[in-house]
Amino acid sequence: MPTMRYREALNQALREEMEADETVFLMGEDIGVFQGAFKVTQGLLEEFGEKRVRDTPISENTIVGMGVGSAMIGLRPVVELMTVNFSLLAMDQIVNHAAAIRYMFGGQVKVPLVVRMPQGAGHQLGPTHSHSFEAFYLHVPGLLVAVPSTPADAKGLLKAAIKDDNPVIFIEHETLYGQRGEVPENGGPMRFGEAAIRREGEDVTIIGISRMAITAQKAAEKLAEEHEIDAEVIDPRTLRPLDLDTILESVKKTNRAVIVEEGWPHGGVGANLAALIQEQAFDWLDAPVQRVTGADVPMPYSKPLEQAAFPHEEHVIQAAIATFRDI
Amino acid sequence: MASDVTMPRLSDSMEEGTVLKWLVDEGGEVKRGEPLVEIETDKANMTYDADTDGTLIEVVAQEGDTLAIGEVIARIGDPSEASGNGKPSGGTEAPAEEEADGGGEEAGEDAGDEEAEGAEAEAGATAEGEAEAEGEAEDEAAAAAEKADGDGAGDEEPAAARGEARGGAGGGDGGGETQAGDGGGTATRTRAPTGNGAGDGERVKASPVARRMARELGVELARLEGSGPGGRIVKADVQAAAEGDGAAAKEAPPAEEERAPAEAREEERAPEPQRTEAGAKGEAEIQELTRLQQTVSRRMAESKATAPDFSISLTVDMTEAVELRKRLKEVADPAPSFNDMVVKAAATALTEHPRVNGAYRDGKFELYERVNIGVAVAAMDALVVPTIFDADQKSLGRIARDARAVIEKVRDKTVTPPELSGGTFTVSNLGMFGIEHFTAIINPPQASILTVGALAKKPAVDDNGRIVARDQMSLSLVCDHRILYGADGAQFLARVKELLEQPLSLAL
Repeated sequence: MPTMRYREALNQALREEMEADETVFLMGEDIGVFQGAFKVTQGLLEEFGEKRVRDTPISENTIVGMGVGSAMIGLRPVVELMTVNFSLLAMDQIVNHAAAIRYMFGGQVKVPLVVRMPQGAGHQLGPTHSHSFEAFYLHVPGLLVAVPSTPADAKGLLKAAIKDDNPVIFIEHETLYGQRGEVPENGGPMRFGEAAIRREGEDVTIIGISRMAITAQKAAEKLAEEHEIDAEVIDPRTLRPLDLDTILESVKKTNRAVIVEEGWPHGGVGANLAALIQEQAFDWLDAPVQRVTGADVPMPYSKPLEQAAFPHEEHVIQAAIATFRDI
Repeated sequence: MASDVTMPRLSDSMEEGTVLKWLVDEGGEVKRGEPLVEIETDKANMTYDADTDGTLIEVVAQEGDTLAIGEVIARIGDPSEASGNGKPSGGTEAPAEEEADGGGEEAGEDAGDEEAEGAEAEAGATAEGEAEAEGEAEDEAAAAAEKADGDGAGDEEPAAARGEARGGAGGGDGGGETQAGDGGGTATRTRAPTGNGAGDGERVKASPVARRMARELGVELARLEGSGPGGRIVKADVQAAAEGDGAAAKEAPPAEEERAPAEAREEERAPEPQRTEAGAKGEAEIQELTRLQQTVSRRMAESKATAPDFSISLTVDMTEAVELRKRLKEVADPAPSFNDMVVKAAATALTEHPRVNGAYRDGKFELYERVNIGVAVAAMDALVVPTIFDADQKSLGRIARDARAVIEKVRDKTVTPPELSGGTFTVSNLGMFGIEHFTAIINPPQASILTVGALAKKPAVDDNGRIVARDQMSLSLVCDHRILYGADGAQFLARVKELLEQPLSLAL
């Protein structure tokens, strides 16, 4: 199986879908001549031309608005926003329009739009560029939300997102763009709503969101080596639809759950998931569901503070141990 | 209104308890959830926490008294309710200080850090002296702590916010120094009340899965001791109790697993010997049994009285095992002992002979899914049998480590009831004393017990009829004939022999 970087896998997905379907086109700031702030659209302008790879002004609400309109008339736009923080400028188009139009028009029109954006801390980009907002989008009915953590998932889920007739919020991670991983050759689209069990285990279920799926796996290895705790690690891959069955099955086996996310604690993905788990697996729990989250502060610029503000392996390890005993 | 404190039921088989030590003096202040008295049960010495606030107005049961469950051991109420001879309460500083100290220590042991901090704040306040001020400080501290906890419901409250709330609590009286939780953790833990709340009317702290399993298996939660965070009864506790008491047993069955002191905080004290008048045997020293010794004597007698047992023996050629151990010593620390090899061999053979890993109970065979081997250990002036769980799934090295760890715990008396129960088979070894061959009493309701004699070089006859020196060891299996017949036992024992004579299979 070929190995490639996360950004290359995304690039491949875009290229393949653009080759296969001429209604697929890209819009975004600096995606054409500059080839993307994170080089995901490298080479695509040259290959597909200005009509299908369109540089736009700095106006997120307008970019997404054009995406919504063009999707409504039958195109398949893939819009890139430079960071998840900037997507807040487009909230009106995303929430009031993209997510609601199919419902408001009784299914007469659909909005096959993909909005791509990277999130995440670790690069000292400060509080206006580094947040993790999957919880915002998870909140909205009508949107599908993908949070791939591996190159293979990035490619497979982006292909699926482009083919889907619903608006998809596709959240990438800045730290993962350079990560390498195996990607199946000629791999097709993946299905939304299928979690991946990254590591099988018997003692505690750790659910990692976006990059935290990687952190959770590393923590699980240490838990096994140093604490004799055999953790099962689940990467949901998509938050809407959510593969709750796989999570519940695992929790029923291990009786313990730890949810790891980079975003804020209140109203977070973990808060939601913890509620679902206790609603549906209460009688299987042997300990309160633990959450590991980013700090409840705007993302700091200072390097040590930034590092302290998002979860690392040791936090996951502590939370997992806390499901067994007092620390 | 004064309320009675009665002898609590602290273990599932407890019928009566002995008051070892009052942790609060008569007239002293008692706080709900804080240690009140140490009680010796049939299994362990345990600290019993007060379930109400007030003044200890009367100690009914003195230290050393043994009372049945439910009998009044003390009364708690207002100081004004103290009977005429009651000591003045609150006014003297000594008891208050003592209580504060005790509270701090116990909270530190029993509860999470936050609780400990709260207790420290209280201790600080109390040391200031005045009863009223103390009450206020406590209220404030409690309220502020609660508030801080409420705020801290999220995962990562800014540490500063929590620090303020707590600082305020301590600052109110100037006495307590409080600190914010480290806040760098990941999930805020809830305050852990001390004890498992097994007292009457109080909600037993148990996890949802433990509750469900207890319901399904007919285990009474109030009788269990929780091993989870904050004393919570967790799944493993219920499993251990169910295996110990027999699944679905609604009443305390006659034969329960042998257990020994849980957290023996103090030495299990044998009662003072008494002397009788000299007779034909001279003067006799009368020794009362410790609870553990009582349990051992009762269960051993039960076993002999109910199980029609027989024993079979054979000799195992351990020459290759000796060679293997020599090599293992070079690579493993701890190197597995011969006893560990016997445990491993027995575990493997048990998976192939399910009835040996079973029990005769109430006219039925119970065949157990897990292979949990108890290893008899002489300790605590009695016999204790810690369990190596799932021995069939563990490597020889893991068995060696687990056995060493749990025996260590038995010796320093930190072993917990779950670690002493759930056994499906027992191995007893007296080889270290040079005993060549012996029979043992079955640990009911198990089907059999395997005894291991001394390993020594002895003459053997080789294939050519020559006498050669070989390392040899005897094994005996004592069987309960109600479930295990001669041929069954013999096949099992022969298999153990076979495995030990080809010990490489054990090292896989």
